Amino acid sequence: MTAATITRARPRTGRPKRNITAHIFLVALVLYFLMPLWWLFVASTKDAQGLFSGAGGALWFDKNFNLVQNIQELFTYKGGLYLRWLGNSALYAVVGGVGATVLAVLAGYGFAKFRFKGRDFSFAILLGSVMVPLTALVIPTFMLMSQMHLTNTIWAVILPSLLSPFGVYLMRVYAADAVPDELLDAARVDGSGEFRTFFRVAVPLMRPAIVTVLLLSVVGTWNNYFLPLAVLSDQNLYPITVGLGGWQALAASNNGGGASLYTLIVVGSLISIIPLIIAFLSLQKYWQGGLSLGALK
Amino acid sequence: MNKKTLVAAVSTGALLLGLTACSADGSTSGAGSTAAADATSCSNTIVYPDAPKVSVWAWYPNINTVVDLFNKAHKDVQVCWSNAGQGGDEYAKFSTAIAAGTGAPDVIMLEDEVLPGFELQKALVDLTKYGSDDVKANFSSGAWKDVSSGSSVYAIPVDGGPMAMIYRKDIFTKYGITIPTTWAEYEAAAVKLKAAGGPFMGDFGSNVPAWFTALMTQNGQTAWKYDNSSPQSIGIALNDAGSKEVATYWQGLISQGLVDTKDQFNTDYVGGMASGKYATYISAAWAPGYLSGNGGAATGPGAEWAVAPLPQWDTSKPVSVNWGGSTLAVTTQAKDPALATTVAKELYASDAELKDGVDTQTIFPLSKSVLDAEWFASTPVAFFNGQKANGEVYIPAENAYKGYTYSPFTTYYYSELTKAMVTIIKQTSTGEKALDDLQSTMSTYAKAQGFTVQ
Amino acid sequence: MTNPATTLSSPGAAATTPQAASTSKKPQSRRRSVSRGWIGWLFIAPFGIVFVVFLVSPLAYAFYLSLFSKGLATGTIFSGVGNYVKAFTDPEFLSGVWFVLRFAVVLIPVQMAVSLAAALVLDSLTTRLANFSRLMIFVPYAIPAVIGSIMWGFLYSPSFGPLNNLFSLINQQAPEILNSDNIFGGLMNVVVWQWAGYYMIIIYAALRGIDPSIYEAARIDGANPRQIALRVKVPMITSALVLILVFALIGTLQFFTEPQVLKPIANGAITASFTPNIYAYNLAFQFSQFNYASTISFSLGIVVFIAVYIFLFSTRKRRGGFSS
Repeated sequence: MTAATITRARPRTGRPKRNITAHIFLVALVLYFLMPLWWLFVASTKDAQGLFSGAGGALWFDKNFNLVQNIQELFTYKGGLYLRWLGNSALYAVVGGVGATVLAVLAGYGFAKFRFKGRDFSFAILLGSVMVPLTALVIPTFMLMSQMHLTNTIWAVILPSLLSPFGVYLMRVYAADAVPDELLDAARVDGSGEFRTFFRVAVPLMRPAIVTVLLLSVVGTWNNYFLPLAVLSDQNLYPITVGLGGWQALAASNNGGGASLYTLIVVGSLISIIPLIIAFLSLQKYWQGGLSLGALK
Repeated sequence: MNKKTLVAAVSTGALLLGLTACSADGSTSGAGSTAAADATSCSNTIVYPDAPKVSVWAWYPNINTVVDLFNKAHKDVQVCWSNAGQGGDEYAKFSTAIAAGTGAPDVIMLEDEVLPGFELQKALVDLTKYGSDDVKANFSSGAWKDVSSGSSVYAIPVDGGPMAMIYRKDIFTKYGITIPTTWAEYEAAAVKLKAAGGPFMGDFGSNVPAWFTALMTQNGQTAWKYDNSSPQSIGIALNDAGSKEVATYWQGLISQGLVDTKDQFNTDYVGGMASGKYATYISAAWAPGYLSGNGGAATGPGAEWAVAPLPQWDTSKPVSVNWGGSTLAVTTQAKDPALATTVAKELYASDAELKDGVDTQTIFPLSKSVLDAEWFASTPVAFFNGQKANGEVYIPAENAYKGYTYSPFTTYYYSELTKAMVTIIKQTSTGEKALDDLQSTMSTYAKAQGFTVQ
Repeated sequence: MTNPATTLSSPGAAATTPQAASTSKKPQSRRRSVSRGWIGWLFIAPFGIVFVVFLVSPLAYAFYLSLFSKGLATGTIFSGVGNYVKAFTDPEFLSGVWFVLRFAVVLIPVQMAVSLAAALVLDSLTTRLANFSRLMIFVPYAIPAVIGSIMWGFLYSPSFGPLNNLFSLINQQAPEILNSDNIFGGLMNVVVWQWAGYYMIIIYAALRGIDPSIYEAARIDGANPRQIALRVKVPMITSALVLILVFALIGTLQFFTEPQVLKPIANGAITASFTPNIYAYNLAFQFSQFNYASTISFSLGIVVFIAVYIFLFSTRKRRGGFSS
């Protein structure tokens, strides 16, 4: 199989309309997958009391519609801390995601299109690295960071996020098929340097995979919890996951402290998932084909 | 179009690579150019930028206010505060920083129960060298014992949790329950409630091992013999007759269906409190703040809360116990331990700072300047419909508290005790056997960690 | 603007028969490899540096740590493989491994069944509803595991979750999902919800890659749609399925975030050694035993490696038998 055949559009002629069971199955699936999100939206419109003992039950609205007040409270609580977290998440995800993608594209192309001593061995190591549990890395990474005076800075989150072995794997697999050696050779014969060839010939051909890897890396960094939790101690630097996790712990500890944290957690969760959902929905045509890349080899 | 975006993306990437390379270079060369990238950066504003700064990790909800008050009042020192997480999260970060030898703050908020563990790792400074005795008189002897080990003092107490029984007055009235003063009366009331089709009397949650420890301590358990004069030696006594009586008692309540077995401190439990699922909440002085703090979630429609002293095993010899409580300790990574000790002593010490903690119901202060103050004793507590809860219940409980000796592996003990509590809840073990097993587990663990078990 | 199908077909058009091309060009590419090998390294270098700094060196350090042992009350001593012997006889570690293995064995087939069924159905439909469903099933992937777990934690509540509403209709007490009897299913549901859509998309994309003329041939042979799905489509996407399975296996054996987030409301069901990764985390950050924590992490790595190896070996064998 090649990348080309995988995603090639094909005409679907005369499919029967007798698909009622199939559609019922789909609707059931959609209901299951969307139910928690519906709950999240409904819960975001409730005040603290309604959240725990609302009149309409868990999946329907309470008497008063509190969404706007909840959002206002969320955005002003502790001087707009939440918005700051949102901004941090975006910064880490974009910088870390773009960086990881650039590294992965370069390395994937290098692995796919050059033969050199130690290539297969390095690649095997790279694949094996996926099996390493993250907990093994946190303490040494922390020590490394603190020796470089990077703990509690944005670099402590961004630099390790540049590492995306899976991205390299995807890029290698894709580049191997999508970038024909003949084209590269032709470019070289024309006197184009290796890097010029890479930018002019290879990168445009690898574009679908690049978008996919970019999305995967951005999502990976956006969703990251463990690493920022370990390396950051200033809450002004927290990403949204660590911030909300912290609120959850605060709400559950004995120091509730006057605010209705649970409503903030719920509405904060709602707002925080919107950007990525929008990103995925609007970019769907790019990633849908790309996600199957890894399955080629 | 597409080519343009690509070029843009790639050049951004290249720029980025340059940036990261720069910062990596800058740091490995060890040049102190990145002064901003210090161990901590402040979440508060510094009022006097020229004064030396002391970094503080703390998670008190009203700490912003307190730090601002402190900084305005201190021209000679400024607190640089950050919230490194709540309880376990903060300890995890502190542990990592200890292992790394760098990254810890100067002053750190710790709960009493984890102090000996960090002492053993030589992570905390003995404050007696820096004049901690100056403030000893400000605290009850019990509170001071909680932060002491042998002749050393490892933290300054801030807030405490003298225990009492919160109850639903409306439920008590409805079912004709009188306030129980002994555990036998508590059980009798529970039986009466159940017979009348009423709610649970209370709750035995497996996630509150500290609570269960306090209740066993109330009946004479002296779990640990430990102090830093011989840190390699420990005494463990978890299965004495008194402890077993407590375990058997609660197992009895559970097996009769008189109390619930839900985990506490979560939405479900708070929701249960609001909806009148429980008639009492055996809890500590911070509980009213906790319950009203969740946006009034637990105040529920028609709920009338009140508080009474903790039921006793023997009313002729009442015992006061404590659940929870936090302190400010100075870490061995502090750049200026003397200055850090000053902060530990004086943060949450001025009247204004303490009063804010009381007013926002975020702490139950241990400072005698509050405990002995008339305004504190006579403040009507809104959560209890105006009952003067501090003066009637909590202050006497705190003053009668004798202190507790913690082990240097409290988190491990709590995780094992939780397992024991689960076996009690699921009736897979008797209360007695659960404690016998716990005793042997903890002895084995202590030996494996290199302690001599007495 | 751009049609993904056309953009994607352009590289393919050039590489009509990459297999044949690469084999026939072997001598030439080998020659090139010798002269331009260093350029390959140059392309890999930026990633290589990050890989060495943030993966290899921390890992090496963690391995170094695992060779020493330190009790709370004792000094650090070199213990060689002592910690590993201890780990593989440690009932806490072994029970965690046993849990994640059981979890993987139950979870992965369920997850695969859901995502494969969804993908097969979607592949056979071209309606607007199908397009919409595909996206909606995928949406949970975009939600951080932390937030997904917080949400399900609320939903599992027997007193104010939807279960309560449902069961109060028939005057019953809602079941407790977060206790030691039901936690297995409760966690499984969270993971399936989070990941099934992602796997579905991968399978779906692989299905779209099959040449439809094969279906015509099968249909002429008298196969019904179900037979086509199971006998023709599924075998043709085995490589996609194997890839998904390997990643699901690795992910499941390293299970951490969901149980860690649900722990405070799990009524004691999630212990400090619930999964190996949670055990390592607690050993390091709660019990101050960094050396042993590193050992547990490495031991888990060994278990994962063995499990993946066994899995790949067995599927390769079966696949071999299939094609012959």
